[in-house]
Amino acid sequence: MITLTINEKEITLDKPMSVLDAARKAGIKIPTLCHHEALKPYGGCRLCVVEVERMPKLQNSCTLMAADGMVVRTESEEISRTRRGILEFLLINHPLDCPYCDKAGECELQDLVNRYGPTTGRYTEEKRKVPESHKDHILARNMERCVVCTRCVRMCNDVQGASAISVIGRGNRSRVEPFSSESFNCEYCGNCLTVCPVGAILSRLYIHSFRPWQLDREVETVCPYCGVGCSLVVQVRDDSIKRVIPRMDLGVNRGLLCSRGRFGYEYIHSEDRLRTPLVRKDGTLQQATWSEALDIVAAKLTAVKNAEGGASIAGIASPRCTNEDNYVFQRFMRTACGTNNIDSVSRTGFAAAQKYFEDLLGQGITANLLDGLKNSETILVLGDDPAAVNPVLGLSIREAARRGAGVIVVGYAKGLDKFRTLQVIPRVFREAEVLEEVLTGVFSDRGVRGDMPYVDKGIRELSDRISGKKTGIEGIDETVKKLLQSASTSIVLGMDIVQRSDGHRALFAVAGLTYLLEARLYLLSGRPNEQGLIDAGCVPDMLPGGRPVNVPDFRGKFEAVWKAAVPDREGLTLLEIIEGAGKGNIKALYVMGDNPVRNIPHSSFVKEALRSLDFLVVQDIFLSETAEMADVVLPALGWTEKSGTYTNLERRIQLLRKAVETSSGMEDWRILSELSRRMGVPASYSGPEDVMRELARVSPLHRDLTYGEIAAGDALWPYHGEPLRGEMYEVPEMPDGAKDYNADFYLAVDKPLFHSGTLSRRSRALMKICPEATVRIGAAGAAKLGLKEGDKVRLSTPAGSCEAPVSVDGTIMDNRVFLSGNFTGSGVYDLMNFSIDKITKAPGTEGCEVKIEKIQGRG
Amino acid sequence: MFNDTVLKEIEGIKAKYPDRRSALLPSLYIAQREFGWLSREAMTCVARSLNLPEAVVRGTASFYSMYKHKPAGRHVIQLCTNISCMILGAGKLVDFLETRYGVPANGTSGDGRFSLVIMECIGACGTAPAMLVNTDFYDNLSEKRIEEILENYK
Amino acid sequence: MEKVLLKNIDNPNSADIGEYRKAGGYRSLAKALQMQPADIVEEVKKSGIRGRGGAGFPTAMKWNFAMADPKFPKYLICNADEGEPGTFKDRPILEKNPHLLIEGMVISGYALGAEYGYIYLRGEYPAAKDILEGAIEQAYKENFLGDDILGKGVRFRLSVHQGAGAYICGEETALIESIEGKKGQPRTKPPFPVNVGAWSMPTIVNNVETLSNIPYIIEIGGEAYSAIGSSDCPGPKLYCVSGFVENPGVYELPMGTSLRDIIYKHAGGIKDNGKLKAVIPGGISTPVLPADAIDCAMDFVAMPKAGSMLGSGAVIVMDESVCMVRVTYRAMKFFEHESCGKCTPCREGTDWLRKILERIEHGKGREGDINLLSDVAGVMSGRTFCPLGDGAAGVVTGMIKHFRSEFEEHIRDKQCKFRN
Ligand SMILES: Cc1cc2nc3c(=O)[nH]c(=O)nc-3n(C[C@H](O)[C@H](O)[C@H](O)COP(=O)(O)O)c2cc1C
Ligand code: SF4
Ligand code: SF4
Ligand code: SF4
Ligand code: SF4
Ligand code: FES
Ligand code: FES
Repeated sequence: MITLTINEKEITLDKPMSVLDAARKAGIKIPTLCHHEALKPYGGCRLCVVEVERMPKLQNSCTLMAADGMVVRTESEEISRTRRGILEFLLINHPLDCPYCDKAGECELQDLVNRYGPTTGRYTEEKRKVPESHKDHILARNMERCVVCTRCVRMCNDVQGASAISVIGRGNRSRVEPFSSESFNCEYCGNCLTVCPVGAILSRLYIHSFRPWQLDREVETVCPYCGVGCSLVVQVRDDSIKRVIPRMDLGVNRGLLCSRGRFGYEYIHSEDRLRTPLVRKDGTLQQATWSEALDIVAAKLTAVKNAEGGASIAGIASPRCTNEDNYVFQRFMRTACGTNNIDSVSRTGFAAAQKYFEDLLGQGITANLLDGLKNSETILVLGDDPAAVNPVLGLSIREAARRGAGVIVVGYAKGLDKFRTLQVIPRVFREAEVLEEVLTGVFSDRGVRGDMPYVDKGIRELSDRISGKKTGIEGIDETVKKLLQSASTSIVLGMDIVQRSDGHRALFAVAGLTYLLEARLYLLSGRPNEQGLIDAGCVPDMLPGGRPVNVPDFRGKFEAVWKAAVPDREGLTLLEIIEGAGKGNIKALYVMGDNPVRNIPHSSFVKEALRSLDFLVVQDIFLSETAEMADVVLPALGWTEKSGTYTNLERRIQLLRKAVETSSGMEDWRILSELSRRMGVPASYSGPEDVMRELARVSPLHRDLTYGEIAAGDALWPYHGEPLRGEMYEVPEMPDGAKDYNADFYLAVDKPLFHSGTLSRRSRALMKICPEATVRIGAAGAAKLGLKEGDKVRLSTPAGSCEAPVSVDGTIMDNRVFLSGNFTGSGVYDLMNFSIDKITKAPGTEGCEVKIEKIQGRG
Repeated sequence: MFNDTVLKEIEGIKAKYPDRRSALLPSLYIAQREFGWLSREAMTCVARSLNLPEAVVRGTASFYSMYKHKPAGRHVIQLCTNISCMILGAGKLVDFLETRYGVPANGTSGDGRFSLVIMECIGACGTAPAMLVNTDFYDNLSEKRIEEILENYK
Repeated sequence: MEKVLLKNIDNPNSADIGEYRKAGGYRSLAKALQMQPADIVEEVKKSGIRGRGGAGFPTAMKWNFAMADPKFPKYLICNADEGEPGTFKDRPILEKNPHLLIEGMVISGYALGAEYGYIYLRGEYPAAKDILEGAIEQAYKENFLGDDILGKGVRFRLSVHQGAGAYICGEETALIESIEGKKGQPRTKPPFPVNVGAWSMPTIVNNVETLSNIPYIIEIGGEAYSAIGSSDCPGPKLYCVSGFVENPGVYELPMGTSLRDIIYKHAGGIKDNGKLKAVIPGGISTPVLPADAIDCAMDFVAMPKAGSMLGSGAVIVMDESVCMVRVTYRAMKFFEHESCGKCTPCREGTDWLRKILERIEHGKGREGDINLLSDVAGVMSGRTFCPLGDGAAGVVTGMIKHFRSEFEEHIRDKQCKFRN
């Protein structure tokens, strides 16, 4: 216990802290400039000075630790004089351009000067001249305004871990610059913007477009991009989003954002938004009224159901839609359409893996809080680059590394290159054998665990089967050693490993490790509501809350509330639906908020299948490649235009709030409710909260959950529900051995930091940061083909071909070339075909040989 | 990228410290020797060989005044003008270097022969004024002596 | 007085280990390795030696702090940054007597339980780098350095870390940052380097001259040593005299020799029989003294009483031909150039002061400028993060205090009368 006196007030502290924090705790304000709560104390600006009895000079309260018996005074004539003097110093080189500066109104320097400030300028010399830099598309730098608090640099280095900017020069010549001194060429998280106290680093997205005091409102909501589910504040003027900012005290991200969350909001105001329903007439999509379009859909679906049965209808739900939307979607599909053929693009990764782990290890095995990562001793990273797929989760791994955690990367994770302590590079597409070897290594030391005999048995069998067959890959033994030593281990799994036709092998190995090491398992989730969609019942085998649809008891409870029958057989999974459509077994398909043509491998195959449908309905906010093929297109409302909830990858349920009014479009759930009524199965709700009330009533998992609780941030797994145990009492048999992949090049899916697909492509800022697809190729491969950075190449595979510039990446050591799936005309899935993993039902995308030809040198 | 000999040299330096970043200052000297000055390319090489972010390398380098942050002449004259040298006439020597050799303070002569860096004290105050030419030390300078010395730097 | 630090330096081969040993070198090390580490520290304590880097901190006290910290490894760093303008006292040791320093460091390392040593050598001394590295190599060969020194199972590894032109790296925490490959910006204290220093481990930073005294303390014993020079800060001291004296150079004299004696007795008095105007007694960070204030003992205790500081013992002597405004201006240019930029008062204050001084020196001074200088220096004083900024303010305050009329003349006459 430390007791000190500040301004005659006695303050007792239960843990060590600075005098500044102690004062703040007691509600005493001390002005600061270089200090920021997200950063370590720096002590540079000298504004936070205080008097401390028995200390000769004024002391910096931000760096002085509170000590027992200390007597502190935070205001005095001497202190004010000092602060005034320091502010005068800060202003000598600071331009007096507040009227032009975007920071005015929320500038810490302006506020301080208003409070303490000198008014008469005794400084008559020329001010430091540094031309404003607009060389970067996103971030403007005005170093005349910089007060060299280094908050931006410390943020970029110590928190973001991008280390993209630094103070150049020293003394009064100090200025902040990126390496190139022009373009930032960084991760564009914008977290430096959050901490710059003045207008020295500004976002060009809104430069000169509004003043902080001109905003109509601020709304707290959740990011629409990925499964981390960062909280953010949307600032609105005239029903248009002007800016997105984080709040230090809010959500899982505590003040941090990534490029997508911060700069990706513009899509919502895109010119390309769908404004009215469209109906295909004479082969083209034409504008229609809502009632016309809804009538057509209801009539057509009813006709198909009556003629061919519900099993000939299928629905694809959306990991970008809310829990409420998805819940109503599956209710509509199950009751009005009479089908369990409900799945989502999530089946290509997250949903497949999630199901595998829950079946084996029990419900909730993947529900782990992000804080657990920060506190891990060892983190095993597999499958994808967390810093790109789930950037803010990636920051937790970086933070753990800074605290001394071991970070072991199997494969590649570029965003962790400066943070990993060990890298193991499996043979191409053969990650499973590495993981199996690690698992047997751990097993041979630890032995069985005993809680789950069937898992123990599976591990033992695996171990017997592969014992003695070492791959000889470097780092495996070290990995085993590290894992055995670690008191707290986290496993972070990216979906690339899942996309193998024997993907379940890797999944079993991961499950085994999770089980033996009692590790925390995190599934990377590239979309904001993958977990929520599963929990809302948008899967072919489970009702909301993860209750098996083929168990009559469970079904009966839902039927009672829905007042309609639910089909008793499990439905088809995503790829089975697509194949079914191609074979003519599926006649009608309802797609909500997704773009299967772009988001499923082998685009031409998917298109072909959709073309065979009798009826395709797409409900979306854009006329996506899939919507272009539809018979009816229904315009939905997007993020910030409606309320609802998302479930993040920790399985935390969070509230999305409406922030802007718009005239076109309807909430997804409302469209479905309208259709349901028209099809004779009324399902009406007064609003999203009403939907949640029903979900809380029918789903054992969501039991008693309220918006109030969710808004308070308390909706953490398992809420008030009861998790189910695993169901797979037998580990499915696993094929042995694997092919060698010896062709010159193979195609692989890239997951860039700056894009997510359909939405990000319509965000100007993200397009400026990353305007086109590039082909990432290793240095050896580039040398073999004589390729240099920026050369344009044609990629061809049996499935298709495309052209894109290359980017040579020295960190890629194998014969894969990476292409992202985000851009029309050069999406990786256009070029890939797949084979289904019989157990996970995810597409295997390995082994796609690709021919690369240079078509043009750099201009 | 650096060639293998240089990389080995850097590995040797790293071994002297418990942390690879400590090898940064020495490695910058090496990069400067290899590239003539700390160009972006030179700094990128250092960043790669120490697995440090480029901006960190550049920020750190820019703090130190003895690195060459721009291309320099064949020979670098580092002339002290601090107090002991100043009161004994260093200022005039700066003018002399400019008129006689066309090398302006903190600039390079048109023929690329000399760069002149104005230095703070170089620890020769007792024999002031003093300078370094590249890494060679000269003191008790006068105009005449400078002429004699610079004869050896073509 | 017998020369200790500069012993043998007239021998052209003084840097060679053979010559050094011939003159009795490394005997103290052998003796020290027979002693218990604690006993060595005890001798150092008895010697009463204070650090020669400028602040005059009792060396044994610093060592005890570091030894009390249970963390290992510990690091011993020799501060050879010698950046204080006017200072050139460490250079003769580094270039002419490197084995004395090495011997001092090995003994200190053994006493402190530090097995790794670094010499942070300023970039401006390229010749010293080669000499030191050569000497270190010799010392390794003869087993004065290494993992089993003199067969006693003692390890001490030593290497040179070259700075790259930043005065602030002489400040011990900035120096540590610099060794870690960072910008040389001072750290917040506490924690002090003796607890959290280089690579977060206990670290002892001592000046070249300080460490070079250690072999002698071991040789003659702490008590005998304490009889040399001033009683409250004993030992031999290197004074470096530059400027307008007949015989500038480094003088090894008992600590506490009077400033007058240093100038007149040892350095031969004012050059060309000129008239003394002012002396900067301890490097330019120390306040100037006018001609009539030189009857003071040059040590850490007496100098503050005389209105200045011993600093690095760098005596810069100025005669009547020197313009004090110009000296102040040049000094401020130095501080502005060397300010690391971390704290506002120093970063902005040195810039502002330099600009005001520049215009006064160039005949563009204005009424009120002297007050403005004092005000600006007043805001800086006591409020900077490290002593560099304080020193800068002190220079201006000191100059105005003693030579105000010269500033006034510049402003009134709109020119510098010392310029021709
Ligand atoms: C701005 C500044 C510059 C300094 N420069 C040096 C220097 O060049 N050499 C030195 O030995 N100490 C210098 N010091 C003092 C060191 O911080 C430290 O006190 C000293 O190296 C300790 O060694 P000592 O105890 O042997 O004196 C400087 C201090 C400051 C504040
Ligand atoms: S946007 Fe992010 S990565 Fe880029 S400089 Fe700012 S903090 Fe660093
Ligand atoms: S740019 Fe902003 S945050 Fe960065 S140092 Fe300057 S004032 Fe501080
Ligand atoms: S990490 Fe994910 S949720 Fe957070 S801001 Fe980025 S995209 Fe949005
Ligand atoms: S006083 Fe401040 S700015 Fe000046 S050198 Fe020290 S820390 Fe840096
Ligand atoms: S806030 Fe404490 S020094 Fe800046
Ligand atoms: S002042 Fe020039 S060498 Fe010291």
